[in-house]
Amino acid sequence: MADLVQMIERAGLSLATVMARKGADYGAIIAALGDGELHATGPGTWLAVSDASLDELPDRLRGQASVSDQSGGYIVYRFAGPGARRLLQRGAFIDLDPEAFGPGAVAVTAIAHMGVILWQVDAAPTYDVAIFRSHAESFRHWVEGMIPALAPISA
Amino acid sequence: MSRLPTGGLVDRNQPLRFSFDGKSYQGFQGDTLASALLANDVTLVGRSFKYHRPRGILTAGSEEPNALVTLRSGARAEPNTRATTIELYDGLTASSQNRWPSLGFDLMAVNGLFSPLFVAGFYYKTFMWPAAFWEKLYEPIIRRAAGLGALSMLPDPDSYDADHGFCDLLVVGAGPAGLAAALTAARAGKRVFLVDEDSRMGGRLLAELHEIDGDDGRRWVDRTIAELAACPRVTLLPRTVLFGAYDGGVYGAVERVSDHLPTPLPGQPRQRLWKIVATRAILATGAIERPLVFAGNDVPGVMTSSAVQAYVRRWSVLPGKQVVFFTTCDSGWKAVHDLLRAGVIPAAIIEARAHVAPDVKALAGAVPSFLGAQIIGTRGGKRLKGVDLRDAQGRTWRLDADVLAMAGGWNPAVGLGCNLGARPRWSDELNAFLLDHPPAGMAMAGAAAGQFGLGAALASGIAAAAEFGTMAAPRTSDDPADGRPLWHVPHRRGKAFVDYQHDVTDSDVALAAREGFTSVEHMKRYTTLGMATDQGKMGQVNGNALLAQATGKTMAEAGTILSRPPYLPVAIGTLAGHHRDEHFRPVRQTAGHGWAAEQGAVFTDAGQWKRAQWFPKAGERDWLESVCREVNAVRTGVGICDVSTLGKIDVHGPDAGALLDRLYINTFSTLPVGKARYGVMLREDGFVMDDGTTSRLADDHFFVTTTTVNAAKVMQHIDYARQVLWPELDVQATSVTEQWATYAIAGPQSRALLAALLPELDLSNEALPYMGALSFRWLGVSARLFRLSFSGELAYELSVPASHGDRLIRALFELGRAFDAVPYGTEALGVMRIEKGHAAGNELNGQTTAADLGMGRMMSTKKDFIGRVMAQRPALTDAARPVLVGLKPVDPAARLRGGAHLLPKGADAIAANDQGHVTSVAYSPTLGHWIGLALLAKGASRHGERIIVHDPVRGADVEVEVCHPVFVDLEGVRVRG
Repeated sequence: MADLVQMIERAGLSLATVMARKGADYGAIIAALGDGELHATGPGTWLAVSDASLDELPDRLRGQASVSDQSGGYIVYRFAGPGARRLLQRGAFIDLDPEAFGPGAVAVTAIAHMGVILWQVDAAPTYDVAIFRSHAESFRHWVEGMIPALAPISA
Repeated sequence: MSRLPTGGLVDRNQPLRFSFDGKSYQGFQGDTLASALLANDVTLVGRSFKYHRPRGILTAGSEEPNALVTLRSGARAEPNTRATTIELYDGLTASSQNRWPSLGFDLMAVNGLFSPLFVAGFYYKTFMWPAAFWEKLYEPIIRRAAGLGALSMLPDPDSYDADHGFCDLLVVGAGPAGLAAALTAARAGKRVFLVDEDSRMGGRLLAELHEIDGDDGRRWVDRTIAELAACPRVTLLPRTVLFGAYDGGVYGAVERVSDHLPTPLPGQPRQRLWKIVATRAILATGAIERPLVFAGNDVPGVMTSSAVQAYVRRWSVLPGKQVVFFTTCDSGWKAVHDLLRAGVIPAAIIEARAHVAPDVKALAGAVPSFLGAQIIGTRGGKRLKGVDLRDAQGRTWRLDADVLAMAGGWNPAVGLGCNLGARPRWSDELNAFLLDHPPAGMAMAGAAAGQFGLGAALASGIAAAAEFGTMAAPRTSDDPADGRPLWHVPHRRGKAFVDYQHDVTDSDVALAAREGFTSVEHMKRYTTLGMATDQGKMGQVNGNALLAQATGKTMAEAGTILSRPPYLPVAIGTLAGHHRDEHFRPVRQTAGHGWAAEQGAVFTDAGQWKRAQWFPKAGERDWLESVCREVNAVRTGVGICDVSTLGKIDVHGPDAGALLDRLYINTFSTLPVGKARYGVMLREDGFVMDDGTTSRLADDHFFVTTTTVNAAKVMQHIDYARQVLWPELDVQATSVTEQWATYAIAGPQSRALLAALLPELDLSNEALPYMGALSFRWLGVSARLFRLSFSGELAYELSVPASHGDRLIRALFELGRAFDAVPYGTEALGVMRIEKGHAAGNELNGQTTAADLGMGRMMSTKKDFIGRVMAQRPALTDAARPVLVGLKPVDPAARLRGGAHLLPKGADAIAANDQGHVTSVAYSPTLGHWIGLALLAKGASRHGERIIVHDPVRGADVEVEVCHPVFVDLEGVRVRG
C-alpha cells in the first residue's frame, strides 16, 4: 500500500503570501522571486515557496507587493506514486483529471474540511499540498486512513 | 428446495451457508438473501408494521416493502435491510423483525382484530388528550409497538469514506437503456460514470429472456460491460445507489464497497459516499411494477410478476409450485412465457382486460387463461393456498395457488428527476407518470421515460446520449408493452393493501377522502401512505388512483407527489465518513500543544482549536485549586500562557491606516510605528463585533489581532471592506494566524525572564513602554515582542514563527525555572480578565454597544466608520440600557453564577423587574471571594448600590454590591511597572 502513495514533508521551506499593490506590474513581481515557486491563489495573490530564504523578498518587492512571511504557517506535503491522484481526489471536491488540472495548476480548496492550497508539480503526477500547521495532525490522520482504502478490492 | 436444476446467474459450484432466525440454510454465490430464502422454501420473512400480518417477499429489488430483516448481529447488526438487495455471502446471518415472540406466532397480530381503531389518522384521533399523556405514555408505547427493527446501540466497528467524481455524462442505471447510453458516450471518448444499485449490471436483461443481435441478451450485457470497462475514461460503479440530485449538476451516491463480504477487508471502508459532478446525466432508472389492490393482496406468496420472472430467470428459483398470474398488461404474459422457457408451467393466467392481442396471448402457450377476470380474494395466512376469481361472465372460481404473480403495470422511476422540483405528468397513453421536463442537464431514457419495450429502450438510451455521438441500435425484438390499469378490485371482506410497509389499505385512502384530505399531499400525510422506508415506490401511484376515484378526479388532476433525496435509505455513518468520534471535525493544535500535553494540561475547545484550560499539579483537589495557583503565580511572579489562537492579520499598503480608521471606532492612522493600540470594531448595525490590539510595525504595515473565535469573521470583514466597500484603497490583508506562535508572559517577574531569554534587547520602560511593539530576530528567524497585558500585570506577548513555537516554549520554561515560572491556561486567563473588567466573548455577545461596555468615549467623532450611524439609533443610545458593572457578594462566602438575573432589592422575582444579567463570574484568588461582571440597567450610576442576583435554576438569591468592573489595580499601575 505504501507503494501506492508516498507522502513526504518538504521541510525547511520558506513561504510567503505575496499580494500585488495597486497598479503593480505582475511580471516584475514574478521576476523578483527568481528561482522560487510562485503559486497563484487569487487575483494578484501568490504563495511564494522557496528552498532559499525569502527574508529579502519584502525589500525586493517594495512598493510593488505586500509580503507576509508564512514559513511557519503552512506545512507542505508532497504526494507522489500511482495512487496520489486518487487519494487527493477523494479529499478535494475539484476535478483533478489531467484534462482539468495539470502541472502548474493551483487550487485553494478543502480536504476533509481543512483548507488547503494544492498544486500539481509534474505530470507523473506529483502534487504538493500546503496545509495550516495547526491542522497537520488531523490531515495526516485523514491521509493514513485513506491510503489503505486505495487498494483495489476484490469482487 | 425450489432451485431449478439448471440456468440462472448463480454459481452452483460455490455453495454458501447462511442462517435466518437461527436456522441454517444453503444458497449459492450470486444469490440475494431473498432468492436464497425462496430457494429454501422460506416464504414468511416478516410481520407488517401496524397489524403484524405475516408478510413474504413481494419484489426482487430495492423497492421491497415487506422483506425487511436485520442483517448481521452484534455491533454490525443493520435493521431494516431489504432481503432483496442483500448479496449472499458465506456465514451470513439475518433475523426477522417486528414480531414477538416469534415470526410464526406474533402476539401483536392482535392489532389486526382491533383494526377499526388503527385506521388512517388514528394517532391524531386516539391520542389527542390529555395532552400531558402524549410524551409520557402514548408516544413511548406507540414507538415500542410500531418500531421497525432495533439498533444494536453499539459503536459501528466499520469505517466509511468519500470520493468525488467528475464526468461529461453520468448514467444512472445499467439496464439496456443505460448501457446503450453509456456505450454511445464512451465510444465518443467521453468521461462517463455508470452507476447501478445492483451487484451485477444489466437491469431487467438479467431477469427477462431477450435476444439482442441474434444472441442471448445477457451476452450482449457481458460484451457491453467488457467494452465499457476497457475504456479508461469510463468509471463503472456497481453496488452504488444514486440517492439524490442537487443543484449545479451535483449528484450523491453510496457505493456499498464491502456489504457483500462478511466484514470489510483490512483498511477498506464499508461504504463510500460519492459526490459526482456531471455535465449531463441520463436517468435510465427503469420502472417499478405496480402491485394490484385486491383483498388479501399481502398474503406471503403474492408477488409482483416481474419478481417471479426474476427469481426464475436470474436466480433459477421457483417461488412456488402453483403459480397463478393476475395481469393487466402484456408484461405479465411475457413473464409467463419466460417461465415456460425455463420449464416452469404456470397454473393459470387471469387477465383483467377483456381482449389481448393474439401474439400476446400466444406467449402463454397452453396455460389456461381467464380474460376479463379479476382476483377477488386470497386464501391462506402465512402462506398463500389459493385465489378466488370472478370471470368475465361473473362466475367465481376457486383455484389452488401458492404464488400469485401480479402484473399491474409499470411506474417509471422518475424520483431522482423530481429532486430539483420538476413535476411528473400523467400520461393516459402509457398509464404512467412521466417526467417530460427534467431539470437542465438531465434526460430520461428507457423504461424511466416510458419506453417499456426493449427495442424502444435501447433506442432511447442511444438518443439520450446523441450530443456525444451515436451508434447503431442493436437488433432486437420489440416486445409488446400494452396494458390498461386496474386500480382497485372492490371487496366486502378482508384488507386490500396500497402501502404494504405502512399497512395503508384502500379503505384508509377512502377515509382520507371522506374526511377532506383530498390532495395527494394531504392524503399522504393523513394515511402515512408513502412515508415508510420505501417512500411510496410501490404504493404511491395506486394511492393516487384510489384518491382520484374517490374524489371524482382524473389521474392527471389528482397528480402525484415530488420525491426528495435520498432515493433509498442512507446510513448516517456514510454521510459522516471519516468525521466521527474525536475526528468529527478537524482539530487545530498550537505549536506549543505537545509541550502543554507533556505538562498534563487539560484542554478545552475554542472552535477547532485545542487550548490548555489549566495545568493540574499532583495533590490538587480540583480545577479551582489549580486555577487559583496559576493566578497567584502570575500576580506575584511570572506565568506563561499560549495565546497563539488569537486571530492575526497583516494589513499592508499605503492606505492601511485609512482602512483601519473605517473599520475601528477609534483612530489608527495616527498610531506611531512601534506602538500598539486597543481597538473595537462594530458591525454595520452598530453593535460591537470584535476587539483586539493592533500594532503598527511600519508605515504601511499594521498587525491586527482578533479574538480566537472571531478570527475568520474579522478576516472576511476586512476583505469585504477592501474589496467591495472601498476597492479604491491600496491595501492588502493576509491572515497570519497560523504563522505566529505567541505566548503571553505575565507577572512582576516577566521582564526579568525575558531579559534572560533575549539579553541583547533593551526591555526598559523607555525602550519598550506599555503598548510598545518591536521586531527582532531570534534563532535566525523573525520575532516580535509586544508589551500588552490582559492580566493587568506587567506583561508581554512574544511571537515567533509557529515552526519555532515549540522551541520557544521550552526555552522559556528552561530559563523560567529560576523564576518559578508557571504555565497558565484559559481559566486563569479568564479569572484575571474578569478581575480586570475586560470584556470578552460573554460580553461581546452581539447585543452590546461600545457604550454598554464602557468604551463609548473611544468612538471617534472626527471620522466615519462601519457601524457609526446605526450606533446612534435611539435604542442603542438609550440611557437606560444595561451597561457593564462589577458585582461583589455582600457575604464573601456567597457564590455567583453566570446567567443569573439582576433584581432591585425587595422586588418580586418577575420578568417586569428584571434589570440585567450576570455575564461572567470567577472566584478571585486575589480578592478571596467570588466576583462577577454584569450588564445592569443604568449600571454606571449605580456603583455602591446593593441588588439581588436571582438564580431560580441553580440556587438561592445572593445580595451583591454593584461596583466598578475593574476589581484589581483600577489605576493600571502594574501594567506600566
